Order: sequence, then structure tokens, then C-alpha cells
Amino acid sequence: MTLEFRPIRVATGSDDQEGVLAFANDDFVAVLVRLSELHDNMAGSWFLEAAFGIRDANRIFPDLEAAQD
Amino acid sequence: MNTRKQLENDTLGSDVLLRRLEAIAKPSSAERSVLSSLPGSVKHYRAHDDIVRIGDRPSVVCLMLDGMSARYKVSADGKRQIMSFHIQGDIPDLQSLFIDVMDHSLAALVDSTVLAIPHDKMLNIVDLHPRIAHVLWRETLIDAALFREWIVMRDRPAYVRVAHLLCEQFLRMQAVGLTRDHTCPLPLTQAQIGDALGLSNVHVNRTLQELRAEELIILEGWTLTILDFEGLKKAGEFDPLYLHMKKRG
Repeated sequence: MTLEFRPIRVATGSDDQEGVLAFANDDFVAVLVRLSELHDNMAGSWFLEAAFGIRDANRIFPDLEAAQD
Repeated sequence: MNTRKQLENDTLGSDVLLRRLEAIAKPSSAERSVLSSLPGSVKHYRAHDDIVRIGDRPSVVCLMLDGMSARYKVSADGKRQIMSFHIQGDIPDLQSLFIDVMDHSLAALVDSTVLAIPHDKMLNIVDLHPRIAHVLWRETLIDAALFREWIVMRDRPAYVRVAHLLCEQFLRMQAVGLTRDHTCPLPLTQAQIGDALGLSNVHVNRTLQELRAEELIILEGWTLTILDFEGLKKAGEFDPLYLHMKKRG
């Protein structure tokens, strides 16, 4: 599955604001947020903030490439 | 500075049981004597050790003397759900006295010490001293009240849940003399808080940062300082009624 990412700002109520909407074909499937310096050693990773049709939300990926899998 | 190695305290778990008896009745000298010399063997557990595992058929109950433990279950997809936290004076596996097989596990979260009291000795004590049985019965009822509260909290936002848990832990620590002014040990990782509240590490971290930014708490090392308890109660929609804490009197 190839995902298309569209940059957005996400109002998480924290410093984690840089995000992307993930689309599979034309289906909107997930919101990923880039973790800020707030998260120490996880900073820079991508957090699966919300997902549709995927069971294990809240996973963390080192980069968006890894989220493709 | 407090460490996760051991919660500092000089109150024994058996003293806590005596205080709990004092909360409902004036202990007789026989009851005092029994509670001050409970039979059993002292056992030490390292952080993350299981004290009892799901499926076990224990022959002892464990009175927490020191440290901190948690009841938990692991779901089919490997997620751990922590169902309760326990500190000195608690007997988290008391159910094994009457229910043969453990339906969940109990693990030490920090280095912990327990008094393993053989079932037959414990049954003998409750047979001979009904009011001690009442104390244990009352504790299991309050245990259930905590579960009810946690069920209700499951639908609240992360911010409310975390604030609520901090209020609860502080008051439970205070009841057994582990607090100093507005400070108590809180040797929980963000992952453990998340496992208890059904939140990701990320959400727990964000929420703790928010509570810090609002100057409600300071969480440093393994020490929680509540700067504004009324504010934290409000944030956590916290009403201590369910803890059924009686003042000693």
C-alpha cells in the first residue's frame, strides 16, 4: 500500500503540531504527528495519532517511510 | 532524592492494618498483639518481578511491607493493562484466600518487600478475630470502589484521567504516612501510567507537561509535588468519596 501524505498542523494541545494526513488511494486513513522536543529520545519520530480501519493506533515510527509498512 | 529502588518509609504494613482497624473500632490487646506479630516470611522482589502470576494457585497472601506493586493482565495483542497500584498495608492477592486460582498477575514496580502469610494462618486469624476479618472485608470493598471509579474514568479525556490518578495516588500514600507536606514518592514510569489509564506514552507525556505548565504539579525523579491540590482535583474531576478514608479518631 502506498500512502500519500499531506502536511497539516494538528491541534494536540501540546508542542506536537507538525502533522500529516495519510491517504491510501483517495481514502483518508490516518493522522500522524511528528513528536517535538517534549518527548526527549522519541523526538522526531512520527506518532500515529489517529487511524481508521487500523487496529493498533498510537504506534510510533522512526520516519514516514516506516509508516508505509 | 527518592529513587525507584525503594520507597522510603518507617511504617510497617502491619501498622497500617492496625490503623485500619482503629478506623472502625478500638482494637483489643489481643488484636493488637496479632497484628503486630503476623506470621509469615519476609520476601524481597526486584522491580518488574512477578509476585504472583495468572494461573497460580497460591498458598500465601502477600501483605505489602514496602515498595509498590500493580495488578495486571496482558491482552492477546500483548498490551498490558494495569488494574491497580498497591503500597504498604495492602494485601493485593487477598482473594487467593478464597479463590483458588489467580485470574490476573501481580508485579513489583520497584524493589518491594512483602510478608507472605500462609493461608491457613490467615484463616486462623480471621476465624479467631472477627473484627480483623471485618477490616479485610472492608478493604476488599474499597478495592472494588476503586475499580468502579477507574471504570467511570475510562471515558474521560487523558488530561482528566492523569490528574485523577495523581490525586488518588497522593491521598493513598498520605493515608499510610508516605507523604511529606505536598510531596510523595511516585515511582511510576510514563509507560506504567499509560498501562493503567489506557493511554499511550505520548499522551501521558503531553498531559504531564500540561499539568506542569499549569503549575499544578512538579514531577521530578520519582517524586510528585502537588503545587495546587484544589486545582489538580478540579482538573481530575476528583472526589475522594470512593476512597472511604476515615480520619483516625
